[in-house]
Amino acid sequence: MTIILGVLEEGLIYAIMALGVYITYKILDFPDLSVDGTFPMGAALTSTLILTGVHPVLTLLLTFLAGAAAGCCTGFIHVKLKVRDLLSGIIVMTALYSVNLRIADGKANQPIFNRDTIFENEFLTRIMPEGLTPYTVVILLFLIVILCKLLLDLYLKTRSGYLLRAVGDNETLVTSLAKDKGKVKIVGLAIANAFAALSGGIYCQQKGFFEITIGTGAIVIGLASVIIGTQLFRHFTAVKATTAVILGSILYKGCVSLAISLGMKANDLKLITAILFLLILVAGNLNGKKGRIHD
Amino acid sequence: MKKSMKTLLAASLTAIALLTGCGSSAQTADTTAADSTTATEAAETTTTASTTTEQTTAASSDTSTDASYTVGIAQFANHGSLDNCRNGFIEGLAEEGIVEGVNLTIEYENANADGGTSSQIITNFVAKKADLVCAIATPIAQSAYSICRKNDIPVIFTAVTDPIAAELANPDKTPVGEITGTSDKLPVTEQLAMIREILPDATKIGILYTTSEVNSASTIAEYEAAAPDYGFEIISQGVSSSADIPLATDSLLEKMDVDCLNNLTDNTVVSSLPLILDKAAKKNIPVFGSEVEQVKIGCLASMGLDYVELGKQTGKMAAQVLKGEKKASEISFETIEEASFYYNSKVAENLGITLPESLTSTAKETFDQITE
Repeated sequence: MTIILGVLEEGLIYAIMALGVYITYKILDFPDLSVDGTFPMGAALTSTLILTGVHPVLTLLLTFLAGAAAGCCTGFIHVKLKVRDLLSGIIVMTALYSVNLRIADGKANQPIFNRDTIFENEFLTRIMPEGLTPYTVVILLFLIVILCKLLLDLYLKTRSGYLLRAVGDNETLVTSLAKDKGKVKIVGLAIANAFAALSGGIYCQQKGFFEITIGTGAIVIGLASVIIGTQLFRHFTAVKATTAVILGSILYKGCVSLAISLGMKANDLKLITAILFLLILVAGNLNGKKGRIHD
Repeated sequence: MKKSMKTLLAASLTAIALLTGCGSSAQTADTTAADSTTATEAAETTTTASTTTEQTTAASSDTSTDASYTVGIAQFANHGSLDNCRNGFIEGLAEEGIVEGVNLTIEYENANADGGTSSQIITNFVAKKADLVCAIATPIAQSAYSICRKNDIPVIFTAVTDPIAAELANPDKTPVGEITGTSDKLPVTEQLAMIREILPDATKIGILYTTSEVNSASTIAEYEAAAPDYGFEIISQGVSSSADIPLATDSLLEKMDVDCLNNLTDNTVVSSLPLILDKAAKKNIPVFGSEVEQVKIGCLASMGLDYVELGKQTGKMAAQVLKGEKKASEISFETIEEASFYYNSKVAENLGITLPESLTSTAKETFDQITE
């Protein structure tokens, strides 16, 4: 039971970032590496804000905005300065390493164990029935993730959301509609990185500390979740892509946890991840030859 | 074609599902068997894998009569000093009568410096109903505390340089909860005194450190505070990854014109130590280490920690908690009282330095060759 709760906690936290990666990787077809920097940025900002006494819920909003700003930077570098997509992500990711250290007051590790967070505060202890306490974190996370998902679903149905999807599929179409495709890309990247930062912020509030290294490989986790989710549930038309991504994130964390509890050495974890990745991709590709090319 | 691929995907998923089903019962025995190899060198057990398995099953059936314990050891990274800590910890437990294979089951996991894996490892320990979690190094100790405090499992940490800064202890050294352990705070003043004795004319000490390692930053601050008392100036150079080390070393050695280099327990820098030693040797500049392993591979000398001792001390604390003599929340964290002097006579010879008799006579261990 504890393991399942642990997997749900981890999976749901990273699911928010995976939603962001879904926008860049699946919708925009943009390999955005800046996530590796925005995820820890969310955590750094959260720990600093909470230490200065900002309300935990407000910090969530602020991290979301900060992430969006970082995403705009990536977009700006790519669209306006005409740097290749992969490189603009790398540039922002690299810069954010130093920025994150600055945000966290020069410290690579900043604990907030004894502060109020969204998961631990008086209000929560008052309203939560005794029997539900072990599940508080999962319930809260679930609510947050659902909220994020619904907002994203709603957004994708707006005019701007349709344009976003069009840019990924057919840039020329967008131009022929007399719309600026660059602007659309920047908006997409901003939303994606806002989700990544929010995810990092929640990670920090749940774990009780910020650590500069948590961002390493964040993009891999995000991609894995997106790919596992969208490939596994591609034939279930009832499952929306955003839901699939969330399930993908939980499944991915489940696989990692399974590998650990089976006594697999942590040294081999990455290799196992890679193989799982490849299997799903290959299966999906061969499958897709007959069917649609785009999801 | 499409069908065959579907089958393949289905097959791989079934395989994963099957593994889940049959994995849970066998896993404990497996891990214990694998881990007994690491433990054998430390505790002189001749227990074979099969007896370990028996013990595990026996242990779970008679918890009432003679107490038997399950301890989860979570180590943050693969690293000589941290391995020493772990072996020492197992030895320390054994000295208190808690012997692996007899009345102790050890679950050992290494997070390979990955924060996400860290918390999943701890969650697994919780699920396996560990009586105590031993966390080696700061980030994983924080993960352990964050998860275990919700599950009433005591945490014993070791190799945490600054437990107060990590909020694992109150400023007065008392525990913040069911967590205590040992700190590997370096004996900074002793090290400075030693350098002064070996190099009477030196003024500048160069220190390389990684900006992402919080322990290094706090140790540097301590060095900077203490250095003037010994007539030194500390010139620190931060790097963000091992790729920066060659240039950073050159900058310290050439531009800053340091008289010697001093090494901390910084993981990234220690991993690149051979390169640093090589560059320093070419300029005939001595490099001081912070613990025995570094002296072994070519640092001139060190007033350092013995991580096996530190681990033992930690193991004894853990034993107290396991036996119920004291609660973790009643024990303040400890540091190693005395520093031990180590030196490498081969390095001294290469550098043309004669170490003062007053130091060499107190050496805990001497090396006459450089281990590659």
